[in-house]
Amino acid sequence: MPRAKKIVPTPSVVEPNVAIYADKLTFSYNAKSTSGKRALTDISLTINRGEFVALVGHTGSGKSTFVQHLNALMRLQQGSLNVLGHDLAQKKPNLMQLRKQVGMVFQYPEYQLFADTVLEDVCFGPKNFGVPASEHEQLAKKAIELVGLDFEEVKNKSPFDLSGGEKRRVAFAGVLVSEPQILVLDEPTAGLDPQGKKEILQLVRKLNKEQGVTVIMVSHDMNEVYENADRVIVFRDGCLVYDLPPQQLFRLENEIEDMNLEVPQVAAFCNVLEQAGITLPTCHNVEEVFAALCALKEGSNA
Amino acid sequence: MLRDVTFGQYYLTKSFVHSMDARIKLILCLLFMVGIFFVQSFVGFAFVALFLLVAIGFSHVPLGSIVKSIKGIIFLLCLTALLNMFFTKDGNLLVSWWIFEIYDQGLIVAAKMLLRLVFLVMGSSLLTLTTTPVDLTHAIESLLKPLKVIKFPAHELALIMSLTLSFIPGLIEETDRIISAQKARGASFDSGNLIKRAKAFVPILIPLLVGGFRKAEELANAMNSRCYEGSTNRTQMRVMKLSWRDLVGALITVAVFATIFVVYAMRSQWSTITWLYF
Repeated sequence: MPRAKKIVPTPSVVEPNVAIYADKLTFSYNAKSTSGKRALTDISLTINRGEFVALVGHTGSGKSTFVQHLNALMRLQQGSLNVLGHDLAQKKPNLMQLRKQVGMVFQYPEYQLFADTVLEDVCFGPKNFGVPASEHEQLAKKAIELVGLDFEEVKNKSPFDLSGGEKRRVAFAGVLVSEPQILVLDEPTAGLDPQGKKEILQLVRKLNKEQGVTVIMVSHDMNEVYENADRVIVFRDGCLVYDLPPQQLFRLENEIEDMNLEVPQVAAFCNVLEQAGITLPTCHNVEEVFAALCALKEGSNA
Repeated sequence: MLRDVTFGQYYLTKSFVHSMDARIKLILCLLFMVGIFFVQSFVGFAFVALFLLVAIGFSHVPLGSIVKSIKGIIFLLCLTALLNMFFTKDGNLLVSWWIFEIYDQGLIVAAKMLLRLVFLVMGSSLLTLTTTPVDLTHAIESLLKPLKVIKFPAHELALIMSLTLSFIPGLIEETDRIISAQKARGASFDSGNLIKRAKAFVPILIPLLVGGFRKAEELANAMNSRCYEGSTNRTQMRVMKLSWRDLVGALITVAVFATIFVVYAMRSQWSTITWLYF
């Protein structure tokens, strides 16, 4: 029996501070055949502007499919979706505007570099989005410096002559140059060395905290998720199963193991302490745990 | 999306034709392709069509997927038919308009050419639909083996072919990903004039080429580090064996085309086919 397709326009009451609003979003590849397995089933969520959300779940759980809906790389099949006020239930949403506002960094973005020079590659976005040519260099300079590269040094280099880490930064700059309001990252640290990872995450955090960019990060590294995200959304077989702050989510040790996810080290440590009767305040990283333990020790000494 | 593009279009099922030896199928297919050019009458074409239908029936491949393969060359078919129609100046003049003249022989020649090409494509797609690309490469390697005497690199050639085939799915996936990434940066591929559209493909082609070279290099390194060498006497995991099916299939096909050759020889004067020898 063919499924009824229903695209629902978003209600007009979406609050202005909402970045992403999805209601009963359902998607299946090859929608024509009725046997087509659903990639997403009834995803409903609201993400506010300025949030740092991590999207986790193992391969094939629908994270990437969901994320690609956000800038209409995949078109809405069922349900409703509103991104930054763009109602994606419309037949022809303003794709250019939407894609300018929703920056998307794919996995291994350095494999998408193509231009003769770094400057040209970074300016690809603004050129397509119709930004006046006179502003290109200024924007590129800002983006390249934001990712921690020396503009004068790299601007005329071929992107293929850079090192792996530098290439990734240039690719990042190519997305950041359009000054997106939502930044979607698909495993931004995959394949980087520890230092490179740290720097990329610092950059993302900075964008989030200082410029109020809404960040949606797909990641398999739970330590990374725990330290950075305000909120973790767990996908499993195309369904949204958890939507909690990381400190609450990783208390559910059994459920986490069940889903083939690992408990981050800091959370695991806190959980062990708690079982031993020592309850710490919410900690995001090792330093905070240390500080909390010191405070506890001083408290007991006094 | 690009994912829907299938190359080689192997149709997975079990059938008489599927389980035939790839080498035999390849030879029979070549025989079919040559033989089809010796068919001259519409009765002959009906005979070939009947043979083709029986073969398709025994292959369990839906007729639809075979017909689909014709779609790819529809332009070529139309062009051939039109050229034959307008440039054959034999028989009775049917229509004449401006510089175009259509003779009845022209129509007949065009129809025969069309049938020939359609059967050609159907026959060869029956081969690719029932034989996996890997088997096909093994068959080519096996058939080219005698040429090793003259130092012909049969194994290397087969390796290149099978590697090429195995790269295709990965490259398609990569293309999909690159298209998405460039679209996310505002690239559009369906607006502007022809030059603008052609230019829009540069941001896809360059990363694709670079990626292709990277993958090839990785593969070469992996093979080198395992001391791969093609020239030594390598054995194959799946040894190809002939069975009764191959005998039956070969006998039927050979019988059909033997008939066609005999009919051709009887119909035409020997003197008129001496051109074959020159």
